[in-house]
Amino acid sequence: MASPLPQMLLDGLFTGGTYALMAAGMALILGVVKVINLSHGAFFTLGAYVAYALAERGVETPLAAAPLAAVIAFAFGVFLGKSFINPARKHPFALPVGTLACALLFEQSAQMVWGPHPLSIEAGDPWIGPGGLVIRRWGVIAFLSSAVLLGGLKWVLSARPGLPLRLIAEDEEIAGSLGMDVEAIRYTTFGGACAMAAAAGALLSPSGAVTPTMGRAPLLLSLVVVIVAGMDSVAAIFLLSIGLGIFGNACAWLLSPQWSYVALLAAVCLLLSARPAGLVVQACRRDG
Amino acid sequence: MSRWGGLPSGPWAARYRGGWLAAGIGLLLLFPLSSPDAFFLDVFTTGFLLAAFAASWDVVGGVSGQITLGHALPFGAAAYACALLTSLAGWPLPLAVAAAILLAAAMGTGIGALSAPLAGPFVALLTLALGEIAHEAAVGNTFFSGPGGYAWGGEGGIPVALPWRDAPPFSSYYAALAFLCIASFGMLRFSRSGAGLILRAVAGSPITAQASGVPIARFKRLAFTVGSAFAGAAGAGFVIHVGRATATDLSLELSFQAATFAAVGGRGTIVGPVVAALVLHVLFQGLSLSPSTRVLLYSMTLLVTLRFFPGGVVGTARDLASRLGGKEGTRTPRGRVRNRNGGGTP
Repeated sequence: MASPLPQMLLDGLFTGGTYALMAAGMALILGVVKVINLSHGAFFTLGAYVAYALAERGVETPLAAAPLAAVIAFAFGVFLGKSFINPARKHPFALPVGTLACALLFEQSAQMVWGPHPLSIEAGDPWIGPGGLVIRRWGVIAFLSSAVLLGGLKWVLSARPGLPLRLIAEDEEIAGSLGMDVEAIRYTTFGGACAMAAAAGALLSPSGAVTPTMGRAPLLLSLVVVIVAGMDSVAAIFLLSIGLGIFGNACAWLLSPQWSYVALLAAVCLLLSARPAGLVVQACRRDG
Repeated sequence: MSRWGGLPSGPWAARYRGGWLAAGIGLLLLFPLSSPDAFFLDVFTTGFLLAAFAASWDVVGGVSGQITLGHALPFGAAAYACALLTSLAGWPLPLAVAAAILLAAAMGTGIGALSAPLAGPFVALLTLALGEIAHEAAVGNTFFSGPGGYAWGGEGGIPVALPWRDAPPFSSYYAALAFLCIASFGMLRFSRSGAGLILRAVAGSPITAQASGVPIARFKRLAFTVGSAFAGAAGAGFVIHVGRATATDLSLELSFQAATFAAVGGRGTIVGPVVAALVLHVLFQGLSLSPSTRVLLYSMTLLVTLRFFPGGVVGTARDLASRLGGKEGTRTPRGRVRNRNGGGTP
C-alpha cells in the first residue's frame, strides 16, 4: 500500500487552498469594516447547501453553484451589513453576540429546511495519479478557481478600484473627507466577503458531508489565519490556509475528524494567549 | 427633567421597584398552590435555574463588560463534576456540589487569567473557543467509561446519583426558587459593592481605570471567578433537577442563551436578565417548542433587541418609565451610562 503522506498533503492542499478564499473574506471584513464576523461560517454553509440543492436538481457542478451561492450570499451580506453591522458598530457588545446570533439563526433554519443529517454531493470519479494517488476532480477545480479568484482580489486591491478599500482600512476620516461613501463601501465589502465565503462553501461541498454546523471549523480556520497572517497580504493568507488545511487533514487522518476542529479551537486559544496585542494593536492603529 | 416638579410619582418609579419584585416573588410562591400541571412546574423550575445562570453571565458580561460566549463552560463543568463525583466516585451529594462549585470558580479564575490581557471581541473569541473545546470533549464517547463495561458520556450523558427518589415537583420548584432568590441577592450585592463599582469602571474604560491605579487584570479575574462560581452553582442545581449531565450543558447555544437574556433584560442590572430569562424561557418552553425552534426564536429576539433596544427591552422600558415617572430615574445612572457606552472598547 502506498504511503498515506502524499495523499494527505494533496487533499490538504486542495481544501486549504479553497479555505483561503473564505479567510481572505474574513480579512477583508476585519480590515475595512473592522468587525470580527462570527457569522462568516454560516455563509460557507449557505454555499454548500446551494450546491446541494442544485445537485439534487441535476446541476452537479460546483462551478455553477459557486456564482449562484455568491450572489445569494452577497444579497444577504449587504442586508446584514447595512441593517445590522453598520448601526451596531458603535456597540462592542452587539457585534460578537449579534453575528453569533446570525450564525445560529442560519444553522437552525438550515436544520429545519434540510434536516440535521449529513448530506453528500456526488463528486464524480476521481483521477488516479502515479503510485495510486487519488486526485479528486472537484478538489482540483476548487483549488484552481480559488487561486484565480484570490489572484483577482490581489489585483483589485493593488489597482485603482481597490484604492477606497485600502484608504478606509488606513483612515476612515480621510476617506470620508475625500467624498467617499464610507458606509456604502463598508456594507458592499461585507457583502462581497460573504460572497467569497459562500463560493468557498459551494466549491468545497463535494469533498465532505454537508451539515448545518459545517461552517464552524472553516470559521475558526479563517480566524487563525487572520490572527497569524494579518490582513495585508493575500499571498500569506493563501499559504497559511494551505498549511492549516494540511494540518487539519493530518489531524483527521491520524486521530479523528472531530479532532481537527478541536485542534483549530486550541490554536485560537493559544494564539490569543500568545499574542493578545497583535491584532488589537493593528486594528487600533488603523482606527486612530 | 420632571413635569411633576421632581415629586416621586408613577407606579413604575424606582422607589417602588422593590415592591414589584416582592409581588413577583409572592406570585411565584403562590403558583404551585394553584395545583398546576406538573409540566408547568418543571418549566418554571428549569426557568429559575436558567435565570440564575443568566444573572451569573451578567456579573461577567454586564457588570464588568467582559463579553463571554463560553459561560456554559463553568455551568456544564459543575454539572459533569456533580454527576461524576456522585455516580462514579460515590461522594455524598452536598460534598459533590461544593466541589463542583469550587471547580467552576477555579475554572473562572483560569479563564479570567487567560482573557485578562485581551480586549473587546477577543474575549468573546477566546471564551467561545474554550467552551467549544469542552463541548467537543463531552460529546466524544471515549472520554468517560463507567463501571460495568458500558460507556458513559457522549450524547447520552452521565447520570447523577441522588439520595432521594423522584422528588415531588413542587419541592424542586420551591428549592430552585429559593436558590434563585439567594443567588440573585448575592450577585446584586456583589455588583453594588466596592468591587462591583470598580468592575463597572473597568467596563466603562479600562484605560481610565488603569490610570486611576486599579489592577484591572486582577479585577477581571475576580469577575470571572465570581460569575463562574454562581454559574457552577446553577449548573449543579440543574443537574440535580434534570438527573443527568449532558453535552448540551456545555453547548455554545446555552452560553448564547445567557447572553440573550442579559441583552433583553438590560446588561449590568442582574435583575433584568433574571426577569428576561424567566419570561422568555417560560414562554418558549411552555409552548413546547422544539429546541431548534427555541434557538431560532432566541437568535431573532436577540437581533431585534440589539438593533432596536441597545439598552435591553427592560432597560429601555425602565428609561421610559423613569422619564414618565419623574426624577426617580436618576437613581439608576450607572446602568444607563454603561449601556450607552457598551463594554470595554479596544
